[in-house]
Amino acid sequence: MKWSRLFLAVTLIAVMWPQVAGAQTKPAPAPAPAPEDDPDRDPNRNQPDFTIVNLPTTLRVPRFKSAFRVTHRFGRPLGAGDFGDLANDFFGLDSGAQIGLEYRFGLIRGGQVGIHRTSNKTIELFGQYNVLEERKNGVIGLDAFYSIDGTNNFKDSYTPALGIVVSRELGGYGAIYVEPMWVNNSNPLPSELTDDNDTFTLGIGGRLRIRPTVYLVGEFIPRVGFEPGVDYGSFGIEKRAGGHVFQLNFSNGFGTTMGQVARGGTGSEDWYLGFNISRKFF
Amino acid sequence: MHVYRYMVGVALLAVSIGSAACDESLSNITGPTPNLVPTFTSIQNEIFSNGDSSGRVACTQCHNAIGRLFNGLDLSPQVSYANLVGVASRGKVGAIRVIAGDPENSYLIHKLEGRPGIVGVRMPLVGPPYLTDGQILVIKRWIELGAPND
Repeated sequence: MKWSRLFLAVTLIAVMWPQVAGAQTKPAPAPAPAPEDDPDRDPNRNQPDFTIVNLPTTLRVPRFKSAFRVTHRFGRPLGAGDFGDLANDFFGLDSGAQIGLEYRFGLIRGGQVGIHRTSNKTIELFGQYNVLEERKNGVIGLDAFYSIDGTNNFKDSYTPALGIVVSRELGGYGAIYVEPMWVNNSNPLPSELTDDNDTFTLGIGGRLRIRPTVYLVGEFIPRVGFEPGVDYGSFGIEKRAGGHVFQLNFSNGFGTTMGQVARGGTGSEDWYLGFNISRKFF
Repeated sequence: MHVYRYMVGVALLAVSIGSAACDESLSNITGPTPNLVPTFTSIQNEIFSNGDSSGRVACTQCHNAIGRLFNGLDLSPQVSYANLVGVASRGKVGAIRVIAGDPENSYLIHKLEGRPGIVGVRMPLVGPPYLTDGQILVIKRWIELGAPND
């Protein structure tokens, strides 16, 4: 546990260090723009939210601003029983759900940190730094991403993940994403008892704007290494309303943290209803 | 700007290397036998030949040269491997005590877990306490690895 806390501290230092290093190498740093001039505060029609369904996007949190997200993944398989049974259970909303609460904060320009807790007592801490900004280079956006999730309220099994998020915006019609991630200790058993203790995932996702504020979203996450269950997949529809994004989604599992996603979905026949609601505080 | 990226890259590399330390410790799940590892020598010493702090008795308390009439299974160190791997059970017709590479169908595991269909009772005979889930996982892993005489 001490090691994991140390790594978290190193991650936070890594995210903050560029500002310090920059201050040391540049004799006359440009004054920070006034808050109202921060382009990170402008709405981005291609990337209205910080996640696709579960995977991160390259949308930047403005410095010293924040955002909140709540996730639900209802436990009733949509394919169980006939349509009458499904309607009787109100399409799964009557069943229990794995609930996630998330808060992220723009610590520096282009860098954000956050915490996500799911109702199975898993806590994920994450940090993300925007290395390449598509708004400036006109080609791709690229983020470095690191997270670590711990079960039993961050007291038992730890699963760190490290990867990149590559995005390409589609001229106002959305964005596509490729997200290779290495997830360590995805298998909760000791390495002596397993063939694979790590998972390498290749998240592929996209967001398509079909109305001025309505988007279709989807993601698929094939894996190698420790790969129980089936490869995780999600799709949905979402509506942006000011600083809110309301998303109705369907997934073949309940995972919302990187470690949970790496462990895959429950089965190819089982799909579950869920939703995400996010709110930007800027 | 290049300095920023370089520093971020170096820091993330350091974090990724350090993250390997997040693996679970085997001793965390083997409970009363913290030195148990998936080798036959370890299983013999920690499980077959000795009891543990939970109060579980050693298998050789009954399954020894004197008590080999317990379905002919002598688990004394010199002979236990030869009596287990690829050897038919005398208690249940058609069952093999340890099938190398196949823990789910090895009768030793069925008896330790007390699965339905076993002849007689769950082992150890005087249990509980029985083997913990973690201890059984280690034995399963040894079988899964081919049940070597290591």
